Amino acid sequence: MNNLVKKWLESRKIKSESEYDEEKRKIEMAMGKPFITIKVEIPKGFEGLYNQFLSLEKDEQFHEEVKDLVKKRLMLEKRHRKSEI
Amino acid sequence: MDPTTIIFILIFLLTVLLSATAVVPLSIAALVGALLTAWFGLQYRVFGYNDALGFIDMRLIGLILGTMIVVEVAEKSGLFRFGALYAVKLSGGNPGRLFVSICVISAAVSMFLSDSTAMLLMAAATVTIAKLLKYDPVPYFLSAAIMINLGGTSTLIGSVSNMVIGVGSGINFTGFISYLAICEVVLWGITIFALYLLFKSRLGEKKVLPKYSPWESVENKKLFYRSIFILTLLVSLFLTLENLGVGPEAVALGCAILALVLSGLDPTEIFKGLDWETIFFIAGFMFVVRGLEKTGILTDVSMQLFQLTGGSSLKTTLMTLWSSGLASTVVSNTAIALTFTPIIGGLPSLNSAPVWSALVLGTNLGGVATPLSGVVCIMAIGALKREGISMSFSEFTKVGLITTILQLGFASLYLIMRFGLGV
Repeated sequence: MNNLVKKWLESRKIKSESEYDEEKRKIEMAMGKPFITIKVEIPKGFEGLYNQFLSLEKDEQFHEEVKDLVKKRLMLEKRHRKSEI
Repeated sequence: MDPTTIIFILIFLLTVLLSATAVVPLSIAALVGALLTAWFGLQYRVFGYNDALGFIDMRLIGLILGTMIVVEVAEKSGLFRFGALYAVKLSGGNPGRLFVSICVISAAVSMFLSDSTAMLLMAAATVTIAKLLKYDPVPYFLSAAIMINLGGTSTLIGSVSNMVIGVGSGINFTGFISYLAICEVVLWGITIFALYLLFKSRLGEKKVLPKYSPWESVENKKLFYRSIFILTLLVSLFLTLENLGVGPEAVALGCAILALVLSGLDPTEIFKGLDWETIFFIAGFMFVVRGLEKTGILTDVSMQLFQLTGGSSLKTTLMTLWSSGLASTVVSNTAIALTFTPIIGGLPSLNSAPVWSALVLGTNLGGVATPLSGVVCIMAIGALKREGISMSFSEFTKVGLITTILQLGFASLYLIMRFGLGV
């Protein structure tokens, strides 16, 4: 019975998740926490690893690696700018 | 009771049950009820085809559609997001002030926006700021939901149930304000105070707010200013309605056309953003209630209510307030407003203003007593879940019930004092 009630409650979830995400994106952008969204296609020759590729979207470790990559890239930009000045 | 009346009562109960449990979408529940009402009504000659054509009050649909279009244009301009971000900025990172700001702006935006849209906006703003300042989002979030439900109780366009009651009772925009504005202001105050006491220990330490400009969220300043103009015009025209000699639906539709022209936005995008679910729900449910009305059962209920209260304005007012308030904790407040309106309209000679005011307060205040109560609760819990934050049923219910009972209690006192009701 409890499971049934729980299932029913969960079915009454937020209807427009995409609208919520969009609203949140606009507010985060305005509050000075800009972010970027990049579309990455599965690399050629790795089609056999379809599921592994998709799971990267929710892989925390992978997210951290991407963040590090962004930091490295921005650091280089910074150095480049300094040397220009 | 004759079998035909029993069939119509069953159709009504089925519609209410389907809407309350959300087994099917609200609109589907109401439209199925309307279809059954039409079928049995015509089959048993309870009403004729021409009668049925007039069951849906086009003035009400016009008022809702017109207001929705004006508000949709204003929403697309970023006006409400700007307001939310500005309110957060004003708090300066002080948790107490941030809490009050979020409460006030939540109630204020819901005076214009539908509850679900207001919740979407405030949920996004609250989660973002709570994450930035590393605060527990639950107190801010839950308080925003409660204030969104409370906001707009005192204006004709504040909620869909208000529009239903306004059109059904003939109370205009200024009537709503004169009957309920003071009550609304005090309710905001005591609700914020109660929520503050409940959550004081969980609001967090003072933090430095990141520097940002609310203008960053406004993509089109021309549209932003035009939206302010149209909203101001809408409210001004509602306030001077008596001099215009037209109904509120004409003003709303007129301003909607102006908004579509002045905004320069693609009308199809505006129409897509309207809450068609609510419009179809209202049309369907109104049809079911009108069918039930034709059987004479609602007149009987009115008479029994009158006899039960002995014709006392005080008893009728309090009974209306608490029964509609408690019913709204389970069933959609729009459905409650649609059902109660013909019952109260059918009451014989009685000071009707306090009873209508009680219905407005009851249908609005009961909306967030439990997580099952209404669309605001569903949106709030859904958004929290999406952020990976869990909130127990009992935690929500505890805060929801305390504030609902407090609000209904104060509303009872207010109605007695405002209308000088004696036993």
